[in-house]
Amino acid sequence: MKKSCIAMLLAGGQGSRLYALTQNVAKPNMPFGGKYRIIDFPLSNCANSGIDTVGVLTQYRPLQLNSYIAGGQPWDLDSNDGGVFILPPYQSAGEKGSWFSGTANAIYQNIGFIEMYDPDDVLILSGDHIYKMDYSKMLREHHERDAACTIAVLQVSLEDASRFGMMNLRQDGYVEQFEEKPKHPKSDLASMGIYIFNWKKLRKYLVEDENDPASSKDFGKNIIPKMLEAGEKLWPYRFDGYWRDVGTITSLWDANMDMLSTTLINLYDPEWPIRSRPVVRPPQYVGENAEIVHSIVTEGCVIEGHVENSVLSNSAQVGKDASVLYSVLMPGAVVEDGAVVEYAIIGENTVIKSGAHVGSAPDGSEEWGVATCGPDIEISAGAVVGAGAMIYKSEEV
Amino acid sequence: MSDFHGIIFAYGSVKQLGELVNSRTAASLPFCGRYRLIDFALSSMMNAGILDVGVIMQRDYQSLLDHIGSGKDWDMGRRIGGLRLLPPFGLPEYHKGDYTGTIEALNAVSTYVREAHAKYIVLLQGNTAANIDLKAVIRQHLDTGAEITAICTEQTPDYRHHRYVADADGFARSMIFNQTGDGDGVASLEGYIISKELLIGMMDACAASNHYHFHRDAIADYLAAGGKVGVYVHRGYAKRIMSLETYFKSSMDALKPECRAELFPAERPVRTKSREDVSTYYGEKAFVRNSLVADGCIIEGEVTNSIVFSDVRIAKGAKLNNCIVMRGSEIGENVILSAVIADKYSTVAPYQTLVGSQKLPIVIPKNSNI
Repeated sequence: MKKSCIAMLLAGGQGSRLYALTQNVAKPNMPFGGKYRIIDFPLSNCANSGIDTVGVLTQYRPLQLNSYIAGGQPWDLDSNDGGVFILPPYQSAGEKGSWFSGTANAIYQNIGFIEMYDPDDVLILSGDHIYKMDYSKMLREHHERDAACTIAVLQVSLEDASRFGMMNLRQDGYVEQFEEKPKHPKSDLASMGIYIFNWKKLRKYLVEDENDPASSKDFGKNIIPKMLEAGEKLWPYRFDGYWRDVGTITSLWDANMDMLSTTLINLYDPEWPIRSRPVVRPPQYVGENAEIVHSIVTEGCVIEGHVENSVLSNSAQVGKDASVLYSVLMPGAVVEDGAVVEYAIIGENTVIKSGAHVGSAPDGSEEWGVATCGPDIEISAGAVVGAGAMIYKSEEV
Repeated sequence: MSDFHGIIFAYGSVKQLGELVNSRTAASLPFCGRYRLIDFALSSMMNAGILDVGVIMQRDYQSLLDHIGSGKDWDMGRRIGGLRLLPPFGLPEYHKGDYTGTIEALNAVSTYVREAHAKYIVLLQGNTAANIDLKAVIRQHLDTGAEITAICTEQTPDYRHHRYVADADGFARSMIFNQTGDGDGVASLEGYIISKELLIGMMDACAASNHYHFHRDAIADYLAAGGKVGVYVHRGYAKRIMSLETYFKSSMDALKPECRAELFPAERPVRTKSREDVSTYYGEKAFVRNSLVADGCIIEGEVTNSIVFSDVRIAKGAKLNNCIVMRGSEIGENVILSAVIADKYSTVAPYQTLVGSQKLPIVIPKNSNI
């Protein structure tokens, strides 16, 4: 079945900087913003943009992600001709097979999948970004500008520019140069890692790049520079909405806190729903002495204590006289009576026993950071977990 | 093919529910912040592995159809078998009003019952707030060798009901009809396991003699003739919602942890139509106590002892006590509501006060602007 555009979603990254949280699950499967998993954002964007065929490239710890995506029904991606497909690395006849060795190599290894749909264009997405974006607008610009590749870009401050791949433009607005994490940025347009390629052209560059032993098989580092070198037309698609990469503990925490502000990102907008696989728990119960201020709370939660400036996923529990401040509780996390959790991320089903204290408020020092407790562990009664600590085994405390 | 086939009665509109059933049946009444009453019956079937289920409906069933859909939320959207919605067909000529009783409702869909590929039929009422462990009922039915097992409760219903008085062997000795208040034996929840053959025999006999009362005619006759009717006592919370007052009271019961534990045990989850919702946001001035709140709400005001369904907006300065606010409703600034049921998508403009009573809560009808 011929498709005009299909999406390939890169979800294989290990998320090593989130270690305590991602030791057993892929980063895209991380609970986020109360109701969601990170991958809900690109998948919902696809569904809302009318893209009905999505390949999800998995590699690192894919089991939970696979079962989360399953048939794609929550995103209406369970159509008869198209849908969502999990694409792990695989072996072909007479070959040894290999892991995906880079973002470009992951797509190269799935040329066969893409050609089943014979698309005009291919949208490349990343599984660890929080944003709402209408890809159909980007696709329209891609066609209007007759581009070989269109790259979504975001205006950033010059201080931030050294963390991103930056686009320097020609007089006519097309991309002239791509600089990865420049020390002295020449522009303020950062690549968001979202690309639309003309498929015929991309295919050619992927094959060439694969045969280049010096290449690291990466879109930003290799494919884009090679296309620019060859004189291809690369167009920057300017995006001015909310967008966050959640690759570090701090950015994951920050982005969760952003969910408390509808002016940054409005998740209540019925025109652009972010969909997730439903868990179906009873409504949240707010107890006799509970206090919940400026927070988001999700189904199945039982709140008896004090919750402020926090994000609670489904089935989290906060006991009597417990406090949860400026924190993220992932599904099933339990904060027992009298425990305090502040400036912290608590993983799925982790129990903070009564009287324990996790994290602390910023003290202005360089060493301060958000405290993190990985999933399925227990912080013992009365234990103290300091600011910036990363706990992933019960014995550590 | 499973030995058990489910049938849920969802046709009753229960006039005592007043405006709440203007455009829905009692079985599709929103309940406990996110559910419809019929979710309990559907989930009980699902949790016992009974996925071939017919739902008998008669009128005002649009909201029920919308809620149940293909049945996939209860794993009943199957290629073979699965959920069947049963609006009326083949009604007898004389029939103009509501189904007079269970037997008449069954006879109205008699082809469906006859064609069920199962040895036993499991009957449940769609307007019952109870998480019945049908696996346990089935086990008892098979172990005791009963021909019929009646699902009962020790709790006393606040409406006219039938009771079973059992002997020490667990089989019914006698029945008490149309009891109000407490009495001997246990109260029938009008849920049964019955062999298909026996049920069809009862349906035929009643049709032939123009009888349509399942209890007073069919079961009483069967019992009188020496039939073995087992009595299963459901120990958890159980209320059939037969009036506005029961509806209000049962809703408030869900605020008690012990009732919630009985209605929503972890091992028998209650499934419902899934929605695209956001988490609920509690604002800077929000004050919420002893309340159940569904997802997708924005709460800026005060909510105490209340049930709030999804996508509700409660503005600053609003004070709600003992209220039920259904999906999509908007409560304006500084509104004061006490013992009020706001039906779906109703809007209350700022600075208004409405005070009902527990016995007679004020109902704001669906889609209305006040």
